[in-house]
Amino acid sequence: MFRAALLQAVRQAVRSAPRCQAPIARSAVRSSLFRPQQITPSTYFQAVRCYSAPASLSRDEVEGRIMDLLKNFDKVQDVSKLNPQSHFVNDLGLDSLDTVEVVMAIEEEFSLEIPDKEADALHSVKQAVDYIMAQPDAH
Amino acid sequence: MARLSGLQRDVLSLYRRCLRAVREKPSETRENFRSFIREEFHKNRDLDKKDFGTIEYLLRRGQRQLEMYQDPGITNISR
Repeated sequence: MFRAALLQAVRQAVRSAPRCQAPIARSAVRSSLFRPQQITPSTYFQAVRCYSAPASLSRDEVEGRIMDLLKNFDKVQDVSKLNPQSHFVNDLGLDSLDTVEVVMAIEEEFSLEIPDKEADALHSVKQAVDYIMAQPDAH
Repeated sequence: MARLSGLQRDVLSLYRRCLRAVREKPSETRENFRSFIREEFHKNRDLDKKDFGTIEYLLRRGQRQLEMYQDPGITNISR
């Protein structure tokens, strides 16, 4: 009986010890963290997790990258005809197989996958630019 | 471009699948695969588009070839 009472007392002592220390520790943390914020509130936002804004590609950039890609494509017969309005088949002299290659190259360039149905509908630089601009996950 | 027939779309879809499959190959040999695919398709480029029998045969052959070359054990190709 005596031993049981002693053990209980010891247990209580052990339990209460950290409880006393906790508020001290907490206040220390609070003072070190919160006080600078009151002085310079701008630092508060550093604690907020920042995600980058959706990568917004400018139209010029998309157009430039697609034009560069076409410039380096060996099947393009007449580079002088290459402009943002040019049609893959009528202006650049590509056949439907080459068009597929161009669309695949565009996929790789902007790291996305264009479904067959939409890929078949891309016939000109302008259409390709419009398509890329409409894709939120194009890079 | 004139509207494509179903068969033409099938050919283009096979072409696309072939080119996609190239991405799985080692980067040093990708160019070999790419030019092989290009040549195989362009060989029959001037086939009459009404020659359904031949086109369907070639499509089936192409599909079989694609499955064969998709094997990860095949890392290079030469002619």
